[in-house]
Parts: sequence; C-alpha cells; structure tokens
Amino acid sequence: MASDVHSKGVTWDTSNGNLTPVEHLPNSRSESPTPGLVEGTEPGAGQERAMFVHTQSFEDLTADVELTGSRLSEIEEVEEEKEEEQQQGGGGGTGETGGGAEGVEEPKQEVHAVVREKEEDHVFVLSEAGKPIYTRYGSEEALSTTMGVMMALVSFVEANKNVILSIHADGLRVVFLRKSPLVLVCVSRTGQSDSELWRELHYVYYQILSLLTLPQLQRVFQQRQSYDLRRLLSGSERVTAGLLRLLETDAGLMLNATMSLPLCGTTRNIVCTSLQAASSKNLVFSILLAGDRLVALIRKKEQHLHHTDLHLLSNLAASSSSFRQGEGWTPVCLPKFNASGFFHAHISYFEPASDLCLILVSTDREDFFNLSDCKQRFLERLKKRNAYQTLKEALHSPTYPVSQVGIPELWHFIYKSKSSGLYTSPELPVPYHTEEEQERLMDLYQYLHSRLHHLTRPLRSIYRCTNTENLLAWSTSGFELYLCFSPLATKALAMSAVTKLLKWIRKEEDRLFILNSLTY
Amino acid sequence: MSTKKMPMSDNELKNGTSRNMLERCASVNEYFDISFKVMLLGDSAVGKTCVLVRFKDGAFLGGNFIATVGIDFRNKVVSVDNMKVKLQIWDTAGQERFRSVTHAYYRDAQALLLLYDITRKSSFDNIRAWLTEIHEYAQKDVVIMLLGNKSDMAAERVIKPEDGQKLAKEYGVPFMETSAKNGVNVELAFLAIARQLKHRAGQQPHEPKFQIHDYIESQKKKSSCCGALV
Repeated sequence: MASDVHSKGVTWDTSNGNLTPVEHLPNSRSESPTPGLVEGTEPGAGQERAMFVHTQSFEDLTADVELTGSRLSEIEEVEEEKEEEQQQGGGGGTGETGGGAEGVEEPKQEVHAVVREKEEDHVFVLSEAGKPIYTRYGSEEALSTTMGVMMALVSFVEANKNVILSIHADGLRVVFLRKSPLVLVCVSRTGQSDSELWRELHYVYYQILSLLTLPQLQRVFQQRQSYDLRRLLSGSERVTAGLLRLLETDAGLMLNATMSLPLCGTTRNIVCTSLQAASSKNLVFSILLAGDRLVALIRKKEQHLHHTDLHLLSNLAASSSSFRQGEGWTPVCLPKFNASGFFHAHISYFEPASDLCLILVSTDREDFFNLSDCKQRFLERLKKRNAYQTLKEALHSPTYPVSQVGIPELWHFIYKSKSSGLYTSPELPVPYHTEEEQERLMDLYQYLHSRLHHLTRPLRSIYRCTNTENLLAWSTSGFELYLCFSPLATKALAMSAVTKLLKWIRKEEDRLFILNSLTY
Repeated sequence: MSTKKMPMSDNELKNGTSRNMLERCASVNEYFDISFKVMLLGDSAVGKTCVLVRFKDGAFLGGNFIATVGIDFRNKVVSVDNMKVKLQIWDTAGQERFRSVTHAYYRDAQALLLLYDITRKSSFDNIRAWLTEIHEYAQKDVVIMLLGNKSDMAAERVIKPEDGQKLAKEYGVPFMETSAKNGVNVELAFLAIARQLKHRAGQQPHEPKFQIHDYIESQKKKSSCCGALV
C-alpha cells in the first residue's frame, strides 16, 4: 500500500459503501440505482449538460458501415463471383474481407518499398486522378507510381460496383478510405485493427478539411480534376506530422475524449468563471489548454465542440512556435462542427516558455483585436483573483502517480467518463519509461479498445494476460476503463481493483474532471 | 497636408486607451507615444518570420522551416528622435490559402515590408503580383518597402541587387537587401519605416518632406563601415 495515501489519512471505504459522490456534491447524483454504471452518474460525469458532442468510438466508421450496408446485398453477389473467378484462375490471394466488402491481393514489392524499417504506419493521400497529395515519409514525386497503383486498385474494385476497404497480406495491412474527392491509404504492420487505421485516416482527412473546408476542396477538383492540392496545403506538413504522432501516443484520440489538467476545484472554478466573463459578441468557444490537457472550455449556448475538432485545434496550437512569441490569428474549419465554413481562431500562449495556451474561436474574420482584448481581460482577472500563480504551479504536476489510488499491483489505467467526454490517466510508471515501452502499452490499449468497439462483435469486458502485464478493459454505458496490472496480479484482484479505483475516482472527480460545463 | 494630421489625432486617442490596457499588462510594460501597423508580405519561405524575429529578439531562427499559420501579431517599441514609436507588426503566412485573411488586414496597415528571396527567382517574379494586390487592398498612402532577403547566401544568389533596385525604382519604392541570418539591414528597414511614419504623422505644413530614400542611403553607408568592424 502506498505510503503517501495513508499519510493523508484517507480511507477507501466510503460510509455507504457505494460509489455515490461525496457530500459536497449535489445529492441528486446519488439517486441512480446502480451508481457509476449508468451514463450520467459515473464518476467524472458532468453536472449539467455535457460540453462535448456526444461521441462513440469509431462513430465515423459505423456511419460508413451503415452506408455501405445498404449496398451489402449487391456487394455480396459481386464477391461470390469474384471468389469463383479466383478459384478458377488459381489465384492464391488470401485477401481478407474488411467489414463485409472486398479484398484484393496487393503487389507485394510495392508495399515493401513504401513501408519503412521503423514500425510506424505509412499514410498516403491522393486525388481521384491518382495525383499524390501527401505522404508521411519520402517525397510525393518519388511515390507517384505507387500512388498510381493504389488508385488503380480502388478504381478496379469500384468498376465492379464495390468498395475496397482493406488488404491483409504478408503481415501488412493496407487500409483504404474513400472520401471523394480524396483517397486515403494507410499501410501498417503494427498489428493494429482496420478500425484503428481508419480512425487515423479519418483524422488526416479532417485535418485537410480543417485547412480548406469541404466546399473549397470539392470546388478545386470540380474545376480541374488534375489539380495539385499540395499548392493549397503547403506549410501544413508539420501539423499533419504532429497529428499522426499524436495518434500513436495520445489515448484521447483513440477514446474520443480529452484529458483535463488535474486542478483543485476552487482554482478550476475561478479559471472557468474568469474565462466565461471574458466574452465577446462573436465568440463561439474559449478553450484553455495546458499542453494537450484541457483546463477550461466555455462555449456558446446550445453549441457543442466535438473531440476531433478539439484535437485538431490543440495540435495546430502545438505545431507552430510562433504562437508562443506573439498572437496568432488564423481561419480554421472545425470539420465535425461544420465542414463547410471557417471559424477564426485567436491562438496565443501566456508566456513563451509556458504550456498554457488560450484558443478563442470566433465567427468574425475581423475580430482579432476584440479577442486580443478578451485575452487581456481574462489574464487580468486571473491575476486579480490570485489564480494565475496557482494555475502555473499546477502545470508543474500535470499528472499524478498511480500509487495515489493505493492498489499496489495496478501499474496504469485509463478511465473515460462517457457523458462528460473526459478521461483521466496517471503518469506512466517505471516499466514504461522508454518511448518504445510507452508505445507498446499504447498498442495494447488500442488492441483492447478495438475489441471493445469491434464493429460487428463488440465485447463488454476483456481480460488479457501477457508475459509482461495483465490487462483488463471494461465498457459500460457510463464509462470505459482500461487497467494495466503487474503480471503477478490475478483476475480476482483485478475485479476488486475496479471497485476500489472507481471509488477513488469518484472521490477525486472534482480535481480530475471538469464537472461544470459553462456557457457565455 | 492638413489631412495628414488626422492620423496623429487618431493615434493619440487610441494611445490613450491602449495605455490603460498596457499598464495592467505585465508582459508589455513599455510606454509609447505613437503607434503604427506594419505588415510583412511575400511568398512562402522568403524569411518574413526570420526577419521579424531578428528585429524583435535579435536572434536567428535556424534549422527547419516552420510555416506561419494565418497571421502572427507582435509589438516592438523603438525610439525615433526621443519619441517612443510602437510598431505593431503583422507577420503573415505566405501560403495561398491564407490570402483572404491577409487581405482583410491590409487596409489597417500603414506600412508594408514586401520580401523576396534572392536565391529563388519565383519569389522575385511574384513581387509584381504582390504589388498589384497591395494597390487593390491597401490604403492609398501606405508606405511600401521592398526587401531582398537572404543576402548572406551569396553562392545561391540568382537575383542581382540591381534587379531588385530596378524593380523598386519602377514602382517608386525604397529597396534594400537584408539578411535575417547575420542581421544586415534588418533594423534599418524597420527604423526607416518608423521614421517615415512618425515624420508623416507629425508633419508641419512648412516642414520638408522626409526623404526615406536619402535616409536609407545615408544609413546604409554608416552601417557598412560599422559592419566592417563587426
């Protein structure tokens, strides 16, 4: 048992023995018959309405499946014919079908040529004319023939009124995402599921939309099919690279959730109300970030931010150092909010060396000075109420050790409150101090996540033993929980740890989550 | 001439309000007597941000190219004849997709620094297009200065100083070559602009017009002999 827990005189058994909130929270929250398991009563659930758009994991993918589902009967027919053809022709392709559609064998040497030694996913974006738009590694010019082959595969399958989703061959997965007028392709040998790779491709697609908006993207290709989109995307390479890196390391993008900065309730309150008071006519969202963690989010009444949009914004703010020196002002499309128009974002860091970044999103293109003034008012108010220093100190400990929970076998966990869209996770302990180990753990979580959210056969819980750790994942309508135990832990211990952990999160929810969703 | 005095009173008014704001803001604690908006324009990767950082912080942003996103806003207060002149500098993104944003801020600018890269011909060829755009969107009396940046990269030079000079003469704008890397002429460019704007704002009817060309020439000579020492 961790000593720091006992020194504070904390007991883990609450008086009434369940997960109801501690006394300073409104009583109405404890009335649910099965506390914690029903959406809206789980630890970390927002007290009023949620501040985020309600999302499911892989929501884009499920939407796609519904779309293709209507054409499924047609597809199946074609597929049968295809199999017959293959058998007759002796084609030994072990093409797997992804989500009920098509598999084709990929010319192997092409793929080998484009997958690097490093085990990272390779991402390509091309136009429907087969023109290269983006490649994660190498230069677009050098890979133009490869991209030509990719486009040929896509159109070959489409010619038979079918959709190519993925190719599995030789330990490689090639996943296709068709978002007219673009084709996105991901080549991976990390063992991630197709859904995970589609999520990556969706993010890249939304990244492109956030720079251009959907109508502009469609317009340029309507006017000229062979348009070189790189002209319009130039300068955004760093932003996209940063996003792909985040997808591999940040659990928030996997969970469709955001981590909030642990902050004592009173300070959070001051920060939120100060930000709320610093409003302006055309403001839609005020977002205060500490690195990739959310400190406060104020929104216009009835408007909700989507996680994808928030991740795109925070990645944008992190990708250019000039925001740290001055104040940035840029048009940005929030594709999940509205893919057809631009917002205008005022992005600035409080101090060049600090991680505190304020993003003010307005509808008016000429709002710069108004928003600059909002920022000043917010800062003054923070300083007047002595919260600025406290906030800066909170940045020194942006996370907490897992030992605070008091379960010795528990190494790490991720807890997502579904109704608030926020998640919490302790710092990574010793076995995960290297980058490779962190990525390995992230891969394990991704595996559990993809099992819980399998498109056709989702699981409610999964327990997995490996040589190096034992893992448990559990999804209810209220929360999602991923636990990582030492390899010596047992299943029984893991189950009892869940209860204990949920109690602890309930007790700490004031600090770990943002419970009030404020509007202007 | 009397119309030229208008901006002065405008600025005084603005100054009064912004002074209150500045007193409360710890990070910008410099007072100023008069303020002007300056904008940096030019193709992507000609070194606009580097020139600004050299002027503002005296540093050079080496290493990888980081594209500016949208518009970036910074302040710097300089002294001109014992007067504190605050330059509000808009650093713009050179990429095509940001054109519409920058257009919206053209008309607020009192001075424009138009940059090209002496090692890249396309950036020089585009200067005419930039000037057309400036005439369309900017104020009629905006002060324009043409800068050929990266003068330290002699080996890769493709645009001769005479070419820049000739183009500048055609449009009647002052010209100089700068280097954000070693700082040549960077400060001079901003100071010349500040001096010209200050002069224009406070100009009396009988005063002779400030000759920015002559000023630059005289300063260039000075700095080149100092430069030999550095």
